Amino acid sequence: MLLDPRLRAQLERLALGVRGRVTAQWAGRHSSTRLGESLDFADYRPYQPGDDYRRIDHNLRARLGIVMVRQFEAEQELPLDIVVDLSGSMEMHDKATSARTLAAMVAYMGLASGDRVRLWAVPGDGVRTEIQGPAGRHLAAWPLLESWLESRPAGGGASLRPLGRRLAASGGAVVLVSDLLVEEWREVLDGLAPTAGGLVLHVLSRQELYPPLAGDLDLVDSETGTRLAVSMSEEAVRNYQKAVEDFALEASRRSRRAGLDYLLVEAGPDAAERALEGLARREVVR
Amino acid sequence: MRFLVPAALGLASLAGPLIVLYMLRSKRRPERVPSTMLWQEIGEPVSSAVPWRPLKLTWLLVLQLVVLALFVLSLARPFIAEATVLGPHTVFVIDTSGSMAMAGRFEQAQAAALDLAEDVSEANLASVVEAGPHPSVRIAFSSDPEAVAEAIRSLRPGGGAEDLSTALRLARGLAAPDRETSVVIFSDGGAAPLPEEPVVGATHLVFDDHASNLAISGFDAEPSTEGTIRVFVQVENHGADRRTVEVAIDIDGLPAGSTEITVDGLSAAQRVLPVPATPGSVVTARLVGADDALALDDRADLVVGGGADRGVAVVGAGSPFLTALLQSTPGVSIADADEADLLIVDGGPLPEIDRPTWLIRTETTPEGIDLVGLERNLAVTFARPGDPVLDGVDLSETVVAEAQHTETLTWLPLVSSGETPLVLLGEVNGHRVVYTTFDLTHSNLPVQVAFPILGANLLQWLGGGDAVSVSTEPAGTPIALLTPVGHRARVTLPSGDTQDVAPDAATFFDTDEPGVYRIDYVDAEGDVTSSDVAVRRFVPSESSGPSREIVGAPAPGASADEGFLIREWSPWIVAAALALMALEWWVGHQRPRFRRREVTA
Repeated sequence: MLLDPRLRAQLERLALGVRGRVTAQWAGRHSSTRLGESLDFADYRPYQPGDDYRRIDHNLRARLGIVMVRQFEAEQELPLDIVVDLSGSMEMHDKATSARTLAAMVAYMGLASGDRVRLWAVPGDGVRTEIQGPAGRHLAAWPLLESWLESRPAGGGASLRPLGRRLAASGGAVVLVSDLLVEEWREVLDGLAPTAGGLVLHVLSRQELYPPLAGDLDLVDSETGTRLAVSMSEEAVRNYQKAVEDFALEASRRSRRAGLDYLLVEAGPDAAERALEGLARREVVR
Repeated sequence: MRFLVPAALGLASLAGPLIVLYMLRSKRRPERVPSTMLWQEIGEPVSSAVPWRPLKLTWLLVLQLVVLALFVLSLARPFIAEATVLGPHTVFVIDTSGSMAMAGRFEQAQAAALDLAEDVSEANLASVVEAGPHPSVRIAFSSDPEAVAEAIRSLRPGGGAEDLSTALRLARGLAAPDRETSVVIFSDGGAAPLPEEPVVGATHLVFDDHASNLAISGFDAEPSTEGTIRVFVQVENHGADRRTVEVAIDIDGLPAGSTEITVDGLSAAQRVLPVPATPGSVVTARLVGADDALALDDRADLVVGGGADRGVAVVGAGSPFLTALLQSTPGVSIADADEADLLIVDGGPLPEIDRPTWLIRTETTPEGIDLVGLERNLAVTFARPGDPVLDGVDLSETVVAEAQHTETLTWLPLVSSGETPLVLLGEVNGHRVVYTTFDLTHSNLPVQVAFPILGANLLQWLGGGDAVSVSTEPAGTPIALLTPVGHRARVTLPSGDTQDVAPDAATFFDTDEPGVYRIDYVDAEGDVTSSDVAVRRFVPSESSGPSREIVGAPAPGASADEGFLIREWSPWIVAAALALMALEWWVGHQRPRFRRREVTA
């Protein structure tokens, strides 16, 4: 069970904040880029044959002598694409478990809000670079989504670039749960431009934030297997921490430029609770 | 600085491998990390084709080099050789005579001895002999500097004359066969002659500071014709200048008058003063404002004699000689046998001994003396030397017509003729007893000059003679105890301290301090049943502060290194090395880890 009942009850009262309008197929609760049948007035346009007579503004016709019809905002469902990074780097230090929980947290919140939730996972299965998971728009789909998240194995090298391109012009919101430890992370963040914004949950472990290493080491990359000789001097650790700090700052900056909220989450058993607290504080969820 | 094991300094070459170890690159430990992406940005040189690197001086390396240096140094055993009089075994002979109290002599000697005692160790053992009137060994063969120092600190100068001869004999007796023994004499040299000089194996550290001194060299009391007591005071000036000093007289601790005496340099002056003292009073003369170098001789005490006589009864045949003896002995009166304090049994059966008794050839001998026969025509061939009972007694002309031939293991033969004891001293039923093995009338003793003196001394020894007169002896002279059966003696010293004496002790020796000694006899219930008083006076010859240098000579076969104390530094160096190792351990393991920076975005 990825989410305990107490957290699920809390998530049912929350919803992911959406910045822009959505472009979707089905009616929902979010403002759409299209005009529709809601109660919110949007604009006038000249009457054209076939228009619904009930939308003719008779007051305007009486004052100006022209026949105009009223247009209203459309409300559509929010397509919510949740990408969870289960690459080799996420396998270490329990980051993958935290990433699954964080993805489940966002997915549950989306389902509870009536959003169309769709799960993605990288890396793919050897043929595809990513795997599209199940989708749903009601809490009834939660067991399926949870089961899929729990069953996805972690490991292997991954590239976020193809999925980034695929979700670049999403008409909804995109949530990326990843450690961003891929060479193309800048490109992926810069390329994302979902119309309804989204969220980057940057998952790093405590060992990555504060490396407890000493002595002369041969660091082995868990994804690529490349080796890097490092002497863990005080200066080296200090420089590394500065690099991590710069990494997080730049990721935050690039995320916001792409219209995405950003939250650095330290992996751990209570990652979901801490992330929810951070998101609430930033009013990303309400 | 010199080294006992200089070859150990070669171990300093171990610094080379230590430095090489620091220059060698260690084999890198593989460590799997999620990604090396961020590590590539730290700008640290991370690989090299050569297995060494330039030496980087770190605190750890410096500490390790220093620790290595200290250990090498300690193995080389550096030392400094200090001149000392200490040998493998050194006997400290410390003079505690009255003259050592002059002008800080004793304090200087004590300080010098304490200074030397600091160097006492397993390699330099020490013994301490007190050279006072009664030399004694205070500590022997000690390797504990604190114990030796404590023995030295316990010494005090008294009012007696030093007995350096006995002290040196004691020091010689402490010579150990496996250790070279040397003697260091801390003394002013005094005036007492030594049996041999130069003293072999001895070094004399002379403490002979001198200063002007006034002393009460004579103090006595006698009844005046008016029935009062007159005291005689003599003040001696050991300085060159004429001095005037006030002499205060106290009776039983209360002021009773004073007089001024002017004394020319290096001479003496006397005064006779009437004092309202009664028999038994303690009279004290004090020099007021003497401001001299020796305070111990600025005071003298006496106890006024006189008073009730002791009763002595003669039982048995008796003789005019005994009657004359009792009539001529001061403090003694003839009494009935029932009331007498002392008993003289002249022949006849042996009575029950219930008081001090002089037995003169009784029919049976007392317990401890076996009668084996009779001897005739005897001349005195042995008189126990130095015994106070024989003080002033010349028995060389004494002959005995017939005496009992006795044997004893427990009685002390005082006078003998060959194997036949003539006068024996002993104790029966807790009472002192004199046993004379011959009838006085069967000898020429009663007509000898020695008889009244011997008789008076025997009666005094028995506790009956000179009943209330108090002898004033030189400081250091033992006090004879007349402890009744079932009692124990408790002595109050002039300083006010009290000492309990062992129940079977017949003599109290700790009399170096001049002044009045009060001896209380305490029964089992703790009640004081009777008391005695004794006075010990400062020995006048010590007042002048005699000094001389005692010539010493090296002991035959003394080693060449004698006179040097090897003081090693290794323990301190090892301690410093261990402290540095602890610091190194702390630097290497316990230092706080790198400071964390909170990463936030």
